[in-house]
Amino acid sequence: MNPSELTLLVLRLGFLLVLWLFIFGIVYALRSDLFGQRVRKLATPAPAPAAAGAPFATPPPAPVPAGAFAQAPSASASAPTEQFSRPQSAPPVSSGPEKATTQTATRLVITSGPKAGTEFPLGSEPITIGRSSDSSLVIRDDYTSTHHARLMLWHDDWMVQDLDSTNGTFLDGKRLAVPTSVPLNTTVKIGATSFELRR
Amino acid sequence: MPRQSNPSSETRDAAPQTGKIRRLHLPQKLRNLELFLLIIACGINLGAVVLVQLGALGQIDTTLVLLGASLSGLVFAMHIVLRFVAREADPFILPIATLLNGIGIAMIYRIDIANAESGWESAAVRQTVWSGLAIACAIAVILIIRNHRVLFRYTYVAGFVGVVLLLLPLVPGLGREVSGARVWIGFGNFATFQPGEIAKIALAVFFAGYLVRNRDSLSMVGKKFLGMRFPRLRDLGPILVVWALSMSVIIFQRDLGTALLYFGLFLVMLYLATGRLSWVLLGLSLFLGGALIASQTLDYVNGRFTNWLDALNPNVYDADGGSYQLVQGLFGLAKGGLIGTGWGQGRPELTPVPQSDYIIASLGEEIGLAGLFAILAMYLLFVARGFRIGFAGQDDFGKLLGVGLSFVVALQCFIVIGGVTRVIPLTGLTTPFLAAGGSSLVANWIIAALLLRLSDTVRNQPRLVV
Repeated sequence: MNPSELTLLVLRLGFLLVLWLFIFGIVYALRSDLFGQRVRKLATPAPAPAAAGAPFATPPPAPVPAGAFAQAPSASASAPTEQFSRPQSAPPVSSGPEKATTQTATRLVITSGPKAGTEFPLGSEPITIGRSSDSSLVIRDDYTSTHHARLMLWHDDWMVQDLDSTNGTFLDGKRLAVPTSVPLNTTVKIGATSFELRR
Repeated sequence: MPRQSNPSSETRDAAPQTGKIRRLHLPQKLRNLELFLLIIACGINLGAVVLVQLGALGQIDTTLVLLGASLSGLVFAMHIVLRFVAREADPFILPIATLLNGIGIAMIYRIDIANAESGWESAAVRQTVWSGLAIACAIAVILIIRNHRVLFRYTYVAGFVGVVLLLLPLVPGLGREVSGARVWIGFGNFATFQPGEIAKIALAVFFAGYLVRNRDSLSMVGKKFLGMRFPRLRDLGPILVVWALSMSVIIFQRDLGTALLYFGLFLVMLYLATGRLSWVLLGLSLFLGGALIASQTLDYVNGRFTNWLDALNPNVYDADGGSYQLVQGLFGLAKGGLIGTGWGQGRPELTPVPQSDYIIASLGEEIGLAGLFAILAMYLLFVARGFRIGFAGQDDFGKLLGVGLSFVVALQCFIVIGGVTRVIPLTGLTTPFLAAGGSSLVANWIIAALLLRLSDTVRNQPRLVV
């Protein structure tokens, strides 16, 4: 039962087709790597960030009033930041801003933006920030680049480095040009989100 | 280094906090994608074998199909292992490796049919058994190495092992010489093995560990010249040592390709670690100088250059050790054309060693340019995944190792395929995953396993999504 020429030709073309479909399948699955994450529009700010962030939200430390976290999302972008940072930075203010090191800084707190009030513990691994889903801190808004910035350790000090982002990274209101060390309780602003390193 | 081991325990501490959310968002999405692609890959492999039988024999013979199915079983076993010990590993590496391996087996089987070989004589059966062994090795690597940072501790052990493996074929009584190159070891008459293939993994580990420890002195200081910062004379030690090593491979083992592979690997990792172009320029000029001297003084290197530059000259074509093989391969590729003659319907067996060094020419003849480009695209995707792991990585050792391992696959492809298609002088190396040869299969599957392991430990779980 030798297969006819035509059958073999059809099978041959079919094989090549399936081979290429396999490759395009992989490339299709990779599309977010190639074109970046989809952007979430900022028009509808999440109304209940406190609920969404519930697993992360830990009881605030003593100097911060407990109600402050609940107010944060409703207030304007920059207001809560100061509200948070003042009470804490007050004690060490005599010796200037204290550097954030692996010893002093233990957590990263989001102070404004849709998820204000949430936090996560800092380890001794660098933290990447950007829209791509392999960043440690994923910020999906119009103003964030795919690989926007990173926090890294330089001899145990936390440094923030802007990775040539389009809209820049701001440390205490100033746009970063070179990797800069981050003091404790100082606002780092990326897109519509800002965060601080805290004790 | 206490800080190196710290991060892993830290992520474990953080896991309970994010655990709930991760389970909610990622129900093994990556592994399910991998399973889907694996099923397609195994289907294509099966299709290739069946098409070979239809084309060459005119009927379907079930024995080898069964053997191939058992191989698919082993690949799925690896997939299940990944589900448990490396959930976040890259989903594309395993299907691509499986597909390349299967296409290779189909081609080798096709040449066995042409040479009327069967049973243990047949290279396809041996290749299948070697593939099984290689996948078993890969599973073992995934199970044993739970975090790639463990390898960082064994930097210098790896370097030592790499050099010993490299020099093993020169030991009298153990080394074997096959078609001029002394890169094999054998015990008695059977079980020949190319230790250099394993050495490339050991050397990649060594280079990564060494460069992470010492890159500051290699990148920070030096004089500026022609807009580039050149290293100090005293920092040239490492590159000269590796250069001497690869030159000795050219002279004593008479193997151009392996030498180029090791030196290229070191150069790329050095560039990656220091970010200085001057190292690349320096290294390339060193290697080109060495190769030029070798081509003038060593007969076999000179012959390779003549075969390359003057391949279609009848004198060179007919000469003993001339360009006959190269030109036959080119004829095969030309016969294949755009879509090939079809599995089992070409004459790839006319080229010498069509199942190992020349498997690309054989494939080009039977599945044509379209098929060959598909294979190259698969290599591209494989290597790109490796680079991606390097890019996403958080620790420098993992970055260097990921890029080094995948670059070695890319460079090997370039050297072999470039040689077969007459882009560069032909040197004998195996095409990763495709070509007949047990040691190469084992080495490449171990590379795939290491990349899977790296991509799992390196993949950054978002700690917080805003």
